[in-house]
Amino acid sequence: MKRFLLSVALTALPSLAASAQEAGDAIRPLTLITQPEAAAPQEHQAAQIIADAWRKLGLTVNVRPLPGQEFNQVIWYERQRWDTTTWQMVGRPERSDPDELTYNLFVSANAANGYDFVGYNNPEYDKLAQEQREELDLAKRKVLLIQAQELINHDQPYGFEVHPENVVAYNKTVWDPASMVSQAGIGIRNTWTWINVRPLGAQQDVILNSVAPPTNLNPFNISGQQGSWAAEIVWDRLMRVGPEGLPEPWGAEKVERPDTLTVNVTLRHGMMWSDGQPVTIDDAVFSLTAPDIGDKAPMYKPFVRNIASVEATGPDTLTIKLKHPDAAFLVSSLSKLNLAPKHVWQPIFDDLKNKPQTAESIQEEHPVSSGPFRIVRASLNQEIVLEANPTHWSPPKIHRWIMRIMPNVEASLGALKSGEINFLADYTGDPQLLQDLAKSSPNIAVSQALDLGFKFIAYNERRPPFQDVAFRQALSALIDRTLLAEDAWGGAAVPANSWISPALAVWHDQGIVSRVPGGNLEAAQAILAKAGYALVDGKLHYPAGVKETTAPYH
Amino acid sequence: MRCSIPGCRSVRAARPVLRFLRDEPFAAVGAAIYAVIVAMAVFAPELAPYDPRAILRDGHRIARYLPISAAHWLGTTAGGHDVLSQLIYGARTALEVGLTAAVAVVAIGTLLGLLAGYLGGWVDKLVTRLADVVLGLPFLPFMLVLAALTAPGVRVVIVSVALLLWPNTARVIRSQVLSLRERAWVEAARVTGCSTGRIMFVHVLPQVLPLAALYGSVAIGWAILAEAAASFLGFGDPDSISWGVMLQNAYANQALGRGAWNWFTPPGLAIVLMVLAGFLISRGSEKLLFPRLAEP
Amino acid sequence: MARLIADRIGHLLLVLWVVTTLTFLLFRLMPGDPTLNFLSPSFTGETRAALLHGFGLDKPIWEQYLIYLGQLLHGNFGQSFLQNAPVSQILWDALPNTVILTLVSLCLAYAFGIVAGAFLAFRRGGLAEAVAIPVALATRAAPEFWLGMLLLALFAFQLGWFPTDGAVSPGGSLGSLGQRLLSGDFWWHLCLPALTLTLFLQGLPLLLMRATMLEVLNDEFIVMARMKGLSRWSIVIRHAARNALLPVVTAFALGLGASVGGNVVIETVFAWPGIGRVLVQAVQGADYPVAQGAFIVIAFVLVVMNTMADLAYALLDPRVSVGARR
Repeated sequence: MKRFLLSVALTALPSLAASAQEAGDAIRPLTLITQPEAAAPQEHQAAQIIADAWRKLGLTVNVRPLPGQEFNQVIWYERQRWDTTTWQMVGRPERSDPDELTYNLFVSANAANGYDFVGYNNPEYDKLAQEQREELDLAKRKVLLIQAQELINHDQPYGFEVHPENVVAYNKTVWDPASMVSQAGIGIRNTWTWINVRPLGAQQDVILNSVAPPTNLNPFNISGQQGSWAAEIVWDRLMRVGPEGLPEPWGAEKVERPDTLTVNVTLRHGMMWSDGQPVTIDDAVFSLTAPDIGDKAPMYKPFVRNIASVEATGPDTLTIKLKHPDAAFLVSSLSKLNLAPKHVWQPIFDDLKNKPQTAESIQEEHPVSSGPFRIVRASLNQEIVLEANPTHWSPPKIHRWIMRIMPNVEASLGALKSGEINFLADYTGDPQLLQDLAKSSPNIAVSQALDLGFKFIAYNERRPPFQDVAFRQALSALIDRTLLAEDAWGGAAVPANSWISPALAVWHDQGIVSRVPGGNLEAAQAILAKAGYALVDGKLHYPAGVKETTAPYH
Repeated sequence: MRCSIPGCRSVRAARPVLRFLRDEPFAAVGAAIYAVIVAMAVFAPELAPYDPRAILRDGHRIARYLPISAAHWLGTTAGGHDVLSQLIYGARTALEVGLTAAVAVVAIGTLLGLLAGYLGGWVDKLVTRLADVVLGLPFLPFMLVLAALTAPGVRVVIVSVALLLWPNTARVIRSQVLSLRERAWVEAARVTGCSTGRIMFVHVLPQVLPLAALYGSVAIGWAILAEAAASFLGFGDPDSISWGVMLQNAYANQALGRGAWNWFTPPGLAIVLMVLAGFLISRGSEKLLFPRLAEP
Repeated sequence: MARLIADRIGHLLLVLWVVTTLTFLLFRLMPGDPTLNFLSPSFTGETRAALLHGFGLDKPIWEQYLIYLGQLLHGNFGQSFLQNAPVSQILWDALPNTVILTLVSLCLAYAFGIVAGAFLAFRRGGLAEAVAIPVALATRAAPEFWLGMLLLALFAFQLGWFPTDGAVSPGGSLGSLGQRLLSGDFWWHLCLPALTLTLFLQGLPLLLMRATMLEVLNDEFIVMARMKGLSRWSIVIRHAARNALLPVVTAFALGLGASVGGNVVIETVFAWPGIGRVLVQAVQGADYPVAQGAFIVIAFVLVVMNTMADLAYALLDPRVSVGARR
């Protein structure tokens, strides 16, 4: 009898084995949605590895690849339907300030239609996010952001995977390696490099590749990652994010913040549009206010939402009044909004007033811009050709910038080798191959830089058991981030446990990765046991009294 | 009235198969290839050394891109799966797609050809017109659109093959039926009161089945190639294990750049062999490959 | 004869009409949502509805059908969802590339196949035949993209003899049809895709030529036995020209029609900017008007070539006439 009681006592300690009567319903088969292997090999393989690990808990996990269109449709527009998915946030220069992601990803107001697509709702977090947005003092803001990261670490709304590294390569007999500019969280594939890169020989054109074609080239449209590379050097902005990740005046000569709600901008002299007209203060005012006109520029509207008014105060100066204090305004808005010519776009906006179309869909035949490059020719599915703008105050050293659309990764490698392209800017393939190429080809230099973005598993909190913090923590504890970085991403990634990348050294919570278990089955089981989950006949059940009321994904 | 013709039993549909194979060495090779593939499919669980979907480990790490070795006769993929196991299980999908599509094509084509050839008149005209419309639909584009319309996968391939590839079978069968119709015994059957239906299906059909079967063996090949093309273009079922999906994954993971010939070559060769087998079997009748030469 | 042509043309129009209607129905039932391409966090329901209205997707289906037919008759394929350009422009840009690729490959394949097939027919039995026939069949049995990738890896990546993709080198542009035909760069880019396609296509004319030549030769043997003093060559060649080539010509016409649609895979592997690639990208991006237009153009070419093959067959072969049925 004593031995029997002892063995019962032992099994009652934090381990999962239990009898059927004590446990709730069996947890339904869960579905982990991901991209097909051919579309995103790394994400797909990571999903397989993670699903394998989760099965050790006694869960039935199906990995379900969905093709691109359907993938977006289900995850973004059918938020009640899916359990969990792989997803990513891409690094852009404007995200050098963490505010955009801090606010959009986890603040509950964005749950229905916005970026909080997992449905995370924590009033304590909402408060932190709002405070950091309005805190202009760097040190105090950092404290708030650290707190936010620790809170997210505890709540695990995302199972963070890795921060990828951007791997690019170029021909170092064509381009002077010393003239490459590395931007924090971006790498050398950035605007500063395009302006600064120095040719070593006869070749004066940067020829780079892109995996996906942009949808159009329009200052009021964010046409995807690759389209942005071109748009960023064709249209200027009042400020730009510098190589260290901080905003610098660009189209503006001077930017001052006399108080938390006011921004004074002095426009640079002598800027010209490509149609010969000068850039005036009215153009600047227009560029800052046009996205707010109706719903004509929905992609940029959120970035002007906080603007109460913009007024020209002199031939070269304007004053912006904000509705609320905004610590990130210079980066997230002034470094993002394009300077567009009023004499071209005002009539377009007027014309669109009573039409359903937005300004995003307009494609000018000869786009008018004032940036360091001008559009010569854009055959969007094949190639975009830009030429240097000689009248720009910071003229490029190269003659042309040519982006070739090459959806085939192998072909782009071959093109680099053969010299058809001299800059491999968009490489989503196996980094090992690129390293091998660099070893065997003395012309090729490879550059690897930690990205601002991150990859993660999204837990849909609208569907049990994902609304339970303990369940999410257990799942995250099984994600072996080091293994993923080494094997799924072939070494071109670092483990992640925050939406703020280590590349943003100022804001990143040091050591946050070590504060979540990784690939640790015992830890996961302990978390579940403490929360009352039970293992019956090898299958994981809810805590006692909980019924399975959700239908499996299908 | 029960029909009775001297000697008009159900005519044996096929010549003795063995005699056929002996006379046609190419066909014998084709049949042997098919036999191997069927064996692979049926005995897959016994033959495959690993679960094709299992992620294999090399110590703590994933066993990616392992070269050919005693433990992995064809090495492993970028995701840590055993290539040989995937190849063996792929035979199942190949046979499933191939046989189903071939049976569908042959069934539809034979039926329509039989009806058109025997009944003539408006039936013939209708079938011919229908065949012309179907022949006006380009195969791969149609399959892609259909895959986008419904769902990518094996079913779409089978349906596309069945819907679009029957006309050639139908024409050939129709030709043969036209000539069979004039034979004395058919005339005799009619005179003694056999119903049209009975004549068509009990007497004429078995005569054309050998031709239909030979055509079916070619159709198996087209179906496999269609599945491979669909997978390559991203319209296959990413969840299935098939040779086409293996090729697409190898391509997407840059296996060729890696020099992983052990991954990329076997599925391609398997497809070649299986399709080739179908061609070889039908070598006995050249006209099957060039159906438009038959009486239009 | 005129009646035959008229009959065939009437037939052609009927098939075209059915095909365009089928295409219309097929695309209207597609589940893909083009507005997803503009995925944006601030995308409201109203904006989506506005987009759908702008593209005319909210009208009743019969009204869309009539508009569609009317536009087609004017050669207007509508406006691309993704590219802000008229579909017809995209199609007419791409179609010549496909046609040139197909024609060049077919001509090479047939030239090679005819000669090789005739050669094999003379060399009946023996090693050449035992090897050549399975090899020819094997090239036909291989997936095109697999052949293409192998050739690409060998000739473009490893040896560097040919470019890796596209139809022009970076920085250049395609220009008009005339300019393309005169551009050495264009032809250099054409080499590998054409080589792959030729390899894939040559099996058919080879076997076909061999088969028909064998028939012709058999006849000729009997005839020759009765004729003395006439050279074997002149009889065989004269007869071969008339009889053996007829099915080959027919097959060529059919091959042209079929290849235009079948080139989808080759064009994807080599990123050749032809109409097949346009179709695949349009389907993947749910760009309805472009996908629909590309499909119709491909079907159009196919149907026209089928008809021409029929006409060629009927005109060249005196044994066949349209009315000879039952």
